[in-house]
Amino acid sequence: MSHTASAATVSAGGPAAGGYTLRLTDKGPAQARHRADEVVIGVSPAFGGLFTKTIVGIPHAEVLRELLAGVEEQGVHARVVRVPASSDLAVIAHTAAKLSGSGIAVGILSRGTTMIHQKDLVRLSNLELFPQAPLLDLETFRLVGHNAARYAKGESPQPVASRNDYMARPRWQAKAALLHIKETQLVRPGAVPVELEVSITRAGLD
Amino acid sequence: MTLVAGVDIGNSTTEACVAEIGQDGDIRYLAAALAPTTGVKGTTDNVKGVAEVVREALARAGRDQADLRTVLINEATPVISGLAMETITETIITESTMIGHNPDTPGGAGLGVGVTVAFGDLLRRSPGEEVICVAGAGLDFEEVAAGINRAAARGVRVTGAIVRSDDATLIVNRLREPIPVVDEVTLVERVPLGMRAAVEVAPPGHTIRTLSDSYGIAGVFDLDAEQTRMIAPVARALVGNRSAVVVRTPSGEVTGRRIPAGELTLIGERGKATAEVGSGAEEIMRALRRVEPLLDAAGEPGTHVGGMLARVRGTMSELTATPLDGVRIQDVLAVDTFVPQRVRGGLAGEFALENAVGLAAMVRTSRGPMELLAAGLRDTLGAEVLIGGVEAEMAVLGALTTPGAGTPVAVLDLGGGSTDGALATGDGTVESVHLAGAGDLVTSLIDSELGLEDREAAEEIKKHPLAKAESFFHVRMEDGTARFFEDPLPAEAFARVVVLTDAGPRPIHTRHGMEKIRRVRRAAKRRVFVANALRALARVAPGGDIRRIGFVVVLGGSALDFEIPEMIAAAVAEYGVVSGTGNVRGREGPRNAVATGLVVRHAMSAHALR
Repeated sequence: MSHTASAATVSAGGPAAGGYTLRLTDKGPAQARHRADEVVIGVSPAFGGLFTKTIVGIPHAEVLRELLAGVEEQGVHARVVRVPASSDLAVIAHTAAKLSGSGIAVGILSRGTTMIHQKDLVRLSNLELFPQAPLLDLETFRLVGHNAARYAKGESPQPVASRNDYMARPRWQAKAALLHIKETQLVRPGAVPVELEVSITRAGLD
Repeated sequence: MTLVAGVDIGNSTTEACVAEIGQDGDIRYLAAALAPTTGVKGTTDNVKGVAEVVREALARAGRDQADLRTVLINEATPVISGLAMETITETIITESTMIGHNPDTPGGAGLGVGVTVAFGDLLRRSPGEEVICVAGAGLDFEEVAAGINRAAARGVRVTGAIVRSDDATLIVNRLREPIPVVDEVTLVERVPLGMRAAVEVAPPGHTIRTLSDSYGIAGVFDLDAEQTRMIAPVARALVGNRSAVVVRTPSGEVTGRRIPAGELTLIGERGKATAEVGSGAEEIMRALRRVEPLLDAAGEPGTHVGGMLARVRGTMSELTATPLDGVRIQDVLAVDTFVPQRVRGGLAGEFALENAVGLAAMVRTSRGPMELLAAGLRDTLGAEVLIGGVEAEMAVLGALTTPGAGTPVAVLDLGGGSTDGALATGDGTVESVHLAGAGDLVTSLIDSELGLEDREAAEEIKKHPLAKAESFFHVRMEDGTARFFEDPLPAEAFARVVVLTDAGPRPIHTRHGMEKIRRVRRAAKRRVFVANALRALARVAPGGDIRRIGFVVVLGGSALDFEIPEMIAAAVAEYGVVSGTGNVRGREGPRNAVATGLVVRHAMSAHALR
């Protein structure tokens, strides 16, 4: 790999509540692939690095584990990339979709906001959007992985039920804004997407 | 020259035809219009819709409302239809002997047989024992896989697994030795433990072979002939599944039960007949043929069919201000259908397709409300209002304005609530019949058979062809051809089965594939429209012989359908009858026949009087 300058960064989430440890290792610039049975998961600049939890404290290790499990259960392959050039979810998801062999990608921000995108859509559109990060739980992330994989297979999944809470906005807006500012400070304009090697381990399991 | 307007009030649309009639009875057609019917056909609620449609037609003709001399309305004796559907079978599983649902992604493949053991007790089993692992809620797939691997390492032969969450593929991917795993068993805690059980998963694209076969189950559980007879319904219920579990319990069984739906009594001109609704539509229609034409029908009090007919009667009586015992049911159409129903006693939310009977009933009442309607119209439009002849006769007169049509001709008017048939023999007599069951019943059948619970979606499926959105720029049509678009489809249509409505593709929210939806749609149309077309023609044909008709003109809103006219043409072609869609006045298509017929008839009688 021609990846040299910013020597592979290793970020560790540390053992959290569920006891899972997330290690994301840079493997160089991400390539577009042609295998039709893959879904790309695009993560934001600070995901699993500066930040290790969503806005409501769900560890990124578990979030990513559920997304990957959802895709795997459907018999589809998953690939994880980081999009360092933006903290805009639509850009992250659409960039990932253009790298995906199936044209389907999941984009996710550090605070948990998630989107399923397709490469032929305009950037500001999407297949499914989960805008209220505080309402997303592990079960929902599993279902997001499921649906992304089913779109990749050309099936017609029922959209994941999107929850809504009118109080979520006033209650979490300030924290969301701070998290967004932090994440945006890590944005490296013009940087190419990076392929990540994912390792999620748990103490005490063989 | 007098300016007249013919108005046809239908179940769903009101149509008008504005024309000038000359001294010698010659007609100059000026304009036509149509609008949705307001209220129930034949009631004073119609006034608003009629006034609107007449004004619209006058505006198109460029004429003033003050010049309008006469409004002609058909004798819209409210031919109102009621619809009801009753399930007549149910499947009950006792003591949870089987799980026959189809999770999207079961894991592994093959057949596993053993004794059911809770996941937590797996390590307590002795080496060599054959067990089926039952994993409840809250267990993680990595934990389950690791546990099974550990047990297997100790020599316990775990041959299959039943799990709560959608984890089957995830578990199997982590096993050293793959086993069949059935997942998404929502009530997994009710699976009996310590019993002999079999888990079968077929490879993708296949269906199970052993548990869907009576002798297959007998072989697995060493059953004798008598026990095999008992287990046969289980095997039958599992046919067509990709995965299944059968647990052998001392007294568990699966039964199919017929629900007593009640008896339908049909009183006709030729006597009285009864039919058990539970024995299906064919039985009811056979009884009807013995006694028709029908004078009235009654349902056994306190049963499903009794309640059904009482509802129809109640609505009619309310709408027409007729006393309840004055309402007469003039026709019924029974249709066999099936409804997806949750299986009672199932452990995984299994559904079974249960048999049901759909019943359309039609009621004719007195002319009372028509006079009220006419009076209301007179006030609103300020013109003379005449109640014309029978709808079917008017339809014949209108149909005869179709270029190329001539007597003797039979007309089929396919509406929303009823199917009307009429035959003009050429000597001035018109034989006509109103039958229950038309477009609304088709919509109900599509709705219930696909389990949509969305009448609007069912209506769109009925009216438009289907396609599958394969990318944002092309769809695969139901006939296999591809159609491309310059502009991308809306995001919500992606990967879905869509109906190609006039307003663009509209996604259908269902897990059924395009082929299944198409099959249900066509079968519903055939069972209602083709059946009623043949029934209507047989009733008006000389001596009941369809062969003696010759020509059939199809009219009404449903004649605009993209496949109904050709289905009817194909069905009557067997009798050597020519059938086609009407083209009223050479320009209105199958629409406006009755409104036009009213004008024709008025011109004839006005001329005759002179």
